[in-house]
Amino acid sequence: MTKPIAMLIGVSKVYRVGQESVRALSSVSIDIRRGDYLALTGASGSGKSTLLNIIGGIDAPSEGEVWVDGERIDRLTEQRLLQIRRKKISFVFQEPRLMPSLTALENVLLPAAFYRCADRVEERGLELLARVGLAKRASHLAHQLSGGEAQRVCIARALFNQPMLILADEPTGSLDHDTRRDIVGLLEVLNAEGNTIVMVTHDPELAGRAKRRISIRDGVIHADSGVVQPY
Amino acid sequence: MKLYQVALKEIARRKIRTLYTTSSIALSVAMLIATLLAGIAGQKDVMLIIARYGHSLTIFPATTNETSLRSFGIGAGHYIPEDALPDIKRVYDQAIKSGWEKRGAFMMNPGLPGGVDSIEEAIFTPRLYEETTVAGKRVVVTGVRPQDEYKARFWWEVDAGQLLAGGDEVMVGKVFASVTGVKVGDTLEINRRLLTVRGILRETDSPDDYMIFGDLKTVQTVFGKPNLVSLVNVRAMCNYCPVGDAELAINQKVVGVRATSQREIAEAQHKILKNVTNVILSLVLLSLGIACMAVFNMVMGTIHNRIREVGLLKVVGASRAQLVRLFMYEAVAIGVIGGLAGYGAGYLLAITVGPALVSTAVIEGHWWHPLLAVAAATLTSVVATLYPALHVSRIRAAEAFRAL
Repeated sequence: MTKPIAMLIGVSKVYRVGQESVRALSSVSIDIRRGDYLALTGASGSGKSTLLNIIGGIDAPSEGEVWVDGERIDRLTEQRLLQIRRKKISFVFQEPRLMPSLTALENVLLPAAFYRCADRVEERGLELLARVGLAKRASHLAHQLSGGEAQRVCIARALFNQPMLILADEPTGSLDHDTRRDIVGLLEVLNAEGNTIVMVTHDPELAGRAKRRISIRDGVIHADSGVVQPY
Repeated sequence: MKLYQVALKEIARRKIRTLYTTSSIALSVAMLIATLLAGIAGQKDVMLIIARYGHSLTIFPATTNETSLRSFGIGAGHYIPEDALPDIKRVYDQAIKSGWEKRGAFMMNPGLPGGVDSIEEAIFTPRLYEETTVAGKRVVVTGVRPQDEYKARFWWEVDAGQLLAGGDEVMVGKVFASVTGVKVGDTLEINRRLLTVRGILRETDSPDDYMIFGDLKTVQTVFGKPNLVSLVNVRAMCNYCPVGDAELAINQKVVGVRATSQREIAEAQHKILKNVTNVILSLVLLSLGIACMAVFNMVMGTIHNRIREVGLLKVVGASRAQLVRLFMYEAVAIGVIGGLAGYGAGYLLAITVGPALVSTAVIEGHWWHPLLAVAAATLTSVVATLYPALHVSRIRAAEAFRAL
């Protein structure tokens, strides 16, 4: 059994909405191991996106502990969390978010504008675009790309800093069926190459292809397939 | 990929916004530059007048109110006898000395360093004006003491021939020469006396351009006015001489003359122009403030749209300081463009409108004017962007992510 690269111990999250308190998560404990391809499923409002944000150090838990690569991150400063996110975690969102003023390649290279993350930056960007099948679209602006292509660029950008954990929040949610299948295929290839992926999804087909599935209901883990299964 | 490249590409993409922002800044900067250029040119013009005519007294013969209506009494039959000049000089020198002492200056005895005799002596240039017809034109013939006149009017130069030396020669003003076609070497009949043109005075933009100048003794003889002069100009030859005191003393102590100080008039003009320039500059600074508010409103207005952009940049690893820097790069780029555009527009405005305000003003550009324009525009843009940039960078990562 490999050492977990991320771990949640008894994590709860309570939001205050006016005078009321809304409990989004209750005593959730999960460990995520290197090479996991984990699908978080559940109905809208079940707490799966909150859980993803807490794993990524975007949101802080109200209770419990969050560990990433052996470091407890739930009490760190924003600056230290930024360092951890830069080096260890990448995000892919439902809508493909690109800077409209930049080309596909420049969007992949965007992290390099903020921190040193690779040598031969441009070569690496072109390699990543080739890896997601967009080598010929490198100089196209964001609005010249289709939804699926834009999401591939987002995935290439997420790989730019060689993260130990890729967090994807419904990465196929806004795509048509064929494009969705392409993106799923790409995520599976990336996982097969050793990338750890945690993905929130509504899509039972997509969840069914993950190695591990955790179902969340009302902020509580309802089911955890637990074991790593081949897809 | 560098942060400034992201900023530049963003402002290139938002063309309309960039155009609107830079225009409002450029407009204010154009006003600033135009006011500055025209103001400086106007003040220089007045300073030139002070340098030429300033720090001097003009002493006229005392006249009645009725005769004063005609050219301050010149040519109205009132003269100052040349014999009065030593008295006038004595009163002048005494007034200057006591004026210095009154102002706390310590005057040493004559013959010692720093003594009263070490002050450069004022130059007294008497003139006799007589109106007559020469070469078919009515003209003023002016008798002068050439050597003293050249010291006092150091800007005099000849366009052709040579400066007047004396004797039976004359020097003519540029306008007179142009109107009559008189050339160097021609002979002019003045009051039935033949005098040779020795030189043509270069244009001075003063009444001298319309006159004929001859040696004082010659002109006195030609017009039958021996030992009489129309006025005496006194050039002080020192920058802060108490000329006003001398004016007062001459008017009180010398009978039959009245002295007026020209520096005071020029200084008053200078002060008025300076005050007007300062008022306009204040209004321009106010307009820069208004431009700053316009940019602020526009940036704040686009913040909502840019929250997603900020969220994305946070996702890819931008720190708060880097986000502020990104907005500042945009502000600086807009400031530089607005500043340069404003400088160009302001310069054009100054050379178009400036001469209409001050007719003889020469608009001069200096290397620091574009720098000032860019600095003012950049400062305006940066100040306007700072608060929105800080505001948007403060958004927590979780909030920014929810916007994605």
